[in-house]
Amino acid sequence: MKRINWTAYAQSLAAPLLAIGVGLLVGAIAIWAVGGSVGTTYAEMWKGAFGSFYFTASTLTRATPIILTALGVSLAFRAGFFNLGAEGQMVFGALAAALAALYVPGPGPVKMLAAVAAGMLAGGLWSLLAGWLDTRFRMNLLITTLLLNYIAVYTAGYLVAFPLKEKGGTGGAQTAMLDNSAWLPKLFADTTLHAGFIVAIAAAVLLALFLTFTTKGYEIRMLGSNPLFAAYGGVKRGQLMLVSMLLSGALAGLAGTFEVLGTQYRYIDNMLTSPGYAWSGIMATLLAGSNPIGSVLAAILLAALQTGGMGVERNTEVPLEISSVIQSSLILFVSARITFSFIKWRKARAANGNAA
Amino acid sequence: MLLQMEGITKRYGSLIANDRVDFSLQEGEVHALVGENGAGKSTLMRILYGEEQPSEGRIIVGGRERVFATPSDAIAAGIGMVHQHFMLFPSFTVAENIVIGREPKAGVKFDRKAAAEHVKTLSEKFGMPVDPWAKVADCPVGVQQRIEILKVLNQGAKIIILDEPTGALTPLEVEWLLKAIKRLAKQGISFILISHKLNEVLGSADRITVLRDGKVIGSVKASDTDAAALSRMMVGRELAKFERKPVVPGEAILTVDNVTVLGDRGTKPLLDRVSLTVRAGEIVGIAGVSGNGQSELLQVVSGLRRVHSGKVTLGGKDVTGLSAGEFRRAGLAHIPEDRYLWGSAKEESVADNAIMGHLASFSKGGILRKRTIREKVGRWIDAFRVKTGSLETKAKHLSGGNMQKLIVAREMAHGTPFVIAAEPTRGVDIGAMETIHEALLKRRDEGGAILLVSSELSEILKLSDRILVLYEGRVAGELSAGDATEEKISFLMAGGSGNETH
Repeated sequence: MKRINWTAYAQSLAAPLLAIGVGLLVGAIAIWAVGGSVGTTYAEMWKGAFGSFYFTASTLTRATPIILTALGVSLAFRAGFFNLGAEGQMVFGALAAALAALYVPGPGPVKMLAAVAAGMLAGGLWSLLAGWLDTRFRMNLLITTLLLNYIAVYTAGYLVAFPLKEKGGTGGAQTAMLDNSAWLPKLFADTTLHAGFIVAIAAAVLLALFLTFTTKGYEIRMLGSNPLFAAYGGVKRGQLMLVSMLLSGALAGLAGTFEVLGTQYRYIDNMLTSPGYAWSGIMATLLAGSNPIGSVLAAILLAALQTGGMGVERNTEVPLEISSVIQSSLILFVSARITFSFIKWRKARAANGNAA
Repeated sequence: MLLQMEGITKRYGSLIANDRVDFSLQEGEVHALVGENGAGKSTLMRILYGEEQPSEGRIIVGGRERVFATPSDAIAAGIGMVHQHFMLFPSFTVAENIVIGREPKAGVKFDRKAAAEHVKTLSEKFGMPVDPWAKVADCPVGVQQRIEILKVLNQGAKIIILDEPTGALTPLEVEWLLKAIKRLAKQGISFILISHKLNEVLGSADRITVLRDGKVIGSVKASDTDAAALSRMMVGRELAKFERKPVVPGEAILTVDNVTVLGDRGTKPLLDRVSLTVRAGEIVGIAGVSGNGQSELLQVVSGLRRVHSGKVTLGGKDVTGLSAGEFRRAGLAHIPEDRYLWGSAKEESVADNAIMGHLASFSKGGILRKRTIREKVGRWIDAFRVKTGSLETKAKHLSGGNMQKLIVAREMAHGTPFVIAAEPTRGVDIGAMETIHEALLKRRDEGGAILLVSSELSEILKLSDRILVLYEGRVAGELSAGDATEEKISFLMAGGSGNETH
């Protein structure tokens, strides 16, 4: 019974790999269309992402917030809740973390822990609010999470532009710099990669174990798979929804926290929204079919496309947007797969009636 | 011979669904095709109707060999099929549904009047009364079936395949249908009747062909055989005879006291002051035409639906308004009425499906005990002969009958004092039905309280110690096992009053 079903694994890998292949193909056509050399461009993209130790480390740095949001989103998706609010949860998490690290007294590690706790709590509560609106008022989660993003992003933007703006600073809308005792340690000297990456990997493993081996994880999976079956078996939807939304938001909050503690050392307006970390995280989740370990790989792939795209822009005439073309076609083909399996499922349901 | 299928073989990879099957049909004949689930009946009929291509063999209609690449080829050759699940447009009228694809036209416009006239003539010609102007959604199931048959006749069918035609009908509707089939056969229409209800087959067919494991076991005249001989042929062994031991019922386990459930928009109540008791050591059967409150009653006694008034107690505890989890902790096991809607998660593994509702016995401190799960679920799979690749196989790959057996195994395994068995054998074959019935009776003999809801009167009569009939959300009458006959129950099901049953 312990035998691993390799064919099943191969099958679950086949679709994302195919999507990646098609994405690269579409990208190749786009490169060709703007008059670039496909070979050189992809070579530069690879070099930009993994060409040296420094670039590899940058790619993983960029992947860190994407992994954490992807994990949070995966958890909510597995429970059947479309949490599209990762961006807002991340922003409030980052802002809360920055404030905690700035204003909590004590030595560096205390500030750091306070920042992590505050970041996760802020992200979690913002997400919980959407969950509560659903259980209490039946407000559609997809819509509330999406719209709460705007409230969070603009509120944070206002706060750092006015009341919380760095005193006497010449910079734009940003908080003061954190004391460097509260900074996350770098994993390697002279690279950008910080300890948050290790935490993100550990979180992925923990989440995978949680979903497979715990009763709560089981209930979450069943709730997402067939809510009526879960209700029939005595799973409490409302309670589980609040728990999974809280955890989901806390992971997004942690992603924002690590950007503050590990890369920028302060909260800067747009530091999370302009790289689009949250949306990349959602893409990674979709690409990996909400599998935690798969989400890590997908997040690194997306980060590599983005850092690789910068390399392309540095060294060729092809613009950075080529990465977006590849990413978008990836998502297009992944969603085509979802639609296709939905059609298959519908057909199978219709056929069940007369098959004996 | 009107139709001959010769040496039909159908392979799906290594699986042989039909193995050199011969099947024939004469003009005006009613030929029944019986067999267990997976015996190959549906495959054979899908081949005849052009939905599947045979790997070998040929089809001869009216003396000419034919190849049916699609159902339209089969329809053109005079073959029609009425599926188990009706394919009608509920918001359109009866006439519109019948003439679909062959609409009478006035210029480019659809001529509704002509359609209605045409349907009227057709329905008189074949003695199948329908109101052409009625909306299909407003027609009872029996009439919807009539519409399906008229639609097929309108397409010019000389051979009509009926797939499990009586599954959703009331006993009176069944009686009417079987008579209509005989009458149409006299008018020269031939029928192929797929069914696993042997009494109906014996009462209406001229000839009966039995399939088992894809092979023809025998083809017999209906007048030369009986239900026992047919089930032997279907199952390939003698079925155990079992009797209900007399058991003196003990204390009340479930009581439903004056429960009312209102409709969503304050329409007439779905359950209207229903009271019932199920005691230890008895099976209480609920009969009724589907849609008369059975589903709501099931949801009320399993914690899935709130009551507007009244009280439910389970094992001496007032559980009114509590959640499904609390009901389970108070001693409920529940074989749900729809195995895919409520009873399983198709995308998840067999093991995951097998532990729902009983997590406490499969976990310790919030951690699932994978070894216990493997051992216990492995034992159930053996005991109920569930055919599955492994415990990690996704539930959607199990056949309906095997999924049902897994659900029954799951719900019977924990020895709870109260069991809801809703349509416990829907869609399973005779062998599995026997296993499931035995399991239910054994639980009763051991002092379990069982609430049985079934649309199969034979199942209700076979298992129940007491029978309650639901009609429009009310208990229309109660019969003891000794008193109950199919006629009495049918009378109550159709809305007859309890006092006039004799």
